[in-house]
Amino acid sequence: MFRYLVRRFLQMIMVFFATTFIVYALMYWTGGDPIQALAGEKPVNDVLRAQLTKEYGLDQPFLVRYWNYITDLLHGDLGNTLVGRPIKDVLADAWPITIQLAVIAIVVTILFGVTAGVIAGIRRGSIFDNTTLVLTLIVIGIPSVVLAPLAQYLFTIQWKIFPTTAGGDASLWDLLLPGIVLGSLSVATAMRLTRASVSENLRADFVRTARSKGMPGRRVIGIHVLRNSLIPIVTFLGVELGSLMAGAIVTEGVFNIPGVGYQLSKALTTEDTPLIIGIVSVLVVIFLVANLIVDLLYAVLDPRIRYE
Amino acid sequence: MTDIHVSSPPTVGGGRHLLEVKDLFVEFHTRDGVARVINGVSYHLDPGETLAVLGESGSGKSVTAQAIMGILDMPPAKIPSGQILYKGENLLAMPEEKRRQVRGKEISMIFQDALSALNPVFPVGWQISETLRTRAGMSKKDALNRAVELMDLVKIPAARARIRDYPHQFSGGMRQRVMIAMALAMDPKVLIADEPTTALDVTVQAQIMDLLGDLRRDLNMGLILITHDLGVVADVADRIAVMYAGRIVEHADVRNVYKHPAHPYTEGLLDSIPRLDSKGTELATIKGLPPNLMRPPTGCAFHPRCKYAKAVCTTETPLSLDLGHGRTSACHFAKEMLDGTLR
Ligand SMILES: Nc1ncnc2c1ncn2[C@@H]1O[C@H](COP(=O)(O)OP(=O)(O)OP(=O)(O)O)[C@@H](O)[C@H]1O
Ligand code: SF4
Ligand SMILES: [Mg+2]
Repeated sequence: MFRYLVRRFLQMIMVFFATTFIVYALMYWTGGDPIQALAGEKPVNDVLRAQLTKEYGLDQPFLVRYWNYITDLLHGDLGNTLVGRPIKDVLADAWPITIQLAVIAIVVTILFGVTAGVIAGIRRGSIFDNTTLVLTLIVIGIPSVVLAPLAQYLFTIQWKIFPTTAGGDASLWDLLLPGIVLGSLSVATAMRLTRASVSENLRADFVRTARSKGMPGRRVIGIHVLRNSLIPIVTFLGVELGSLMAGAIVTEGVFNIPGVGYQLSKALTTEDTPLIIGIVSVLVVIFLVANLIVDLLYAVLDPRIRYE
Repeated sequence: MTDIHVSSPPTVGGGRHLLEVKDLFVEFHTRDGVARVINGVSYHLDPGETLAVLGESGSGKSVTAQAIMGILDMPPAKIPSGQILYKGENLLAMPEEKRRQVRGKEISMIFQDALSALNPVFPVGWQISETLRTRAGMSKKDALNRAVELMDLVKIPAARARIRDYPHQFSGGMRQRVMIAMALAMDPKVLIADEPTTALDVTVQAQIMDLLGDLRRDLNMGLILITHDLGVVADVADRIAVMYAGRIVEHADVRNVYKHPAHPYTEGLLDSIPRLDSKGTELATIKGLPPNLMRPPTGCAFHPRCKYAKAVCTTETPLSLDLGHGRTSACHFAKEMLDGTLR
């Protein structure tokens, strides 16, 4: 177990350096002229350009600039946006909103996806199973760029159940519809996965053993089957955090929620390279930590991993 | 062995048996059709006795056992007729909740592959004590202590230290012992062992067989030992039931079977046992394959493979003939088999 942890941790550090390096390199070679971007439409004279180049360390070689960036990052200094606002502040405002959104999405996924998956897995071939199969296929088929505006139109403009946009200081209620929309994509996948896992475990030999021990059906399913089915589900939910972040860019854009996804898409349109790199770096860290937690949970849930 | 008549299962001592399977039929309704898998099986078991159930793969040994346990999935399985009497009560007529009380407490079962039969995510102590906690109302601590006793009983070394270990941390033989300990937790009167040693090394096989024999004697349990290896049953079994295509083709005391098989199929099985004294000589095996149970052969199901088959065998299904001394055979020429006059 200890060696497993150490190995996972080392892997995580390597992935961190690799991804931040790639992102930094991409922005370095493809991002336009940062000084022009900084100045906006105005022409930049040579004196100012030379001064700014020195100030931002743009005359340094690439590797030195990457190194400076990483050391700053590890000290918690993400630098400033092009308009001079500390990136730390931008993220401090955006994160709580996105986290709330993600929590709503995950809760929705578990509440509907996992529950429906368990029922469908137990009653394979039933009306419930077939209905949910069709529904999930439809939801999986609709990309979030379509689903989000559609849900917004139906629920906020047509039926006026939820507020149209969330805006600056969004309440949990404001975030509910965007959260559900964000989660609905994972709901479908979670439901298919849970169904497969439950129905597979129902056929396992240990279920036959539990029944021959005289365990009642609800215990056979509730303890023996579910405990085993949990292993792939937890892994999925952890990995799904990553897709939630991607989905958040669209959803936050549509519902005008000033979360991380919203900031990122804004940074992309204004070509705010430092902000893009800052957000992506933090996303990478979060993604890695989530993966580490999933691996730990996996080891807790599956003793065969724990003692390998 | 004078008058031969159609038998009901032989009764010993005239009284009622601990467990009695009576004319059981089981079929599987699948997309491809109906497979008639069990076609009138009868056998019985008394306390402290070992019945070996033998037969090739697919002959219906496990399905019969699962019908007794009540763990067949219905559908696809269906039991159109038959009785399974435990202490005189028909299990097949019981409501499910009452039937469930019988499982594990009165009749227990162990399986071939202990690794997949045990739940991979729970410690063995937890699994052994599960019935004690949930059905016998023991406290967690008492149940675990009892689990240690049970692990000692099946001779797992350092039982207390291993109680928190998981199934995959045990060797094959030890895992099967865990399985046995778990099956014994509620002091069952009948233990069904479905090929308990098939997945194990030869030396470990013998140890598990010895253990089962000892436990059966010490706890005065009835033991149904399912196997397709005639070699292992000679020492442990009292009686043998030989199955073919969902029927008991021969049922007899162990010694009688070895001396004079009363059915050509039993004879074929005996000829295919590897013997120490005949090392190197080629083993006789029964030619051909078991029948397709969706379309079984007419007459005697064994006739396509039987070296004695006559015209009558292809048209008339042989009934189970009582040969006396609790012995039956489902062959038109059972008497001639015993006399040694069948050619
Ligand atoms: N769920 C099922 N659906 C359809 N057919 C089944 C099912 N379970 C068992 N059978 C069929 O029933 C027949 C008897 O199977 P059974 O498992 O009792 O054989 P067995 O004598 O135990 O053989 P083995 O030595 O391989 O364990 C086989 O032909 C098998 O294909
Ligand atoms: S009835 Fe005929 S075919 Fe069947 S076992 Fe006897 S001799 Fe062989
Ligand atoms: Mg079997």
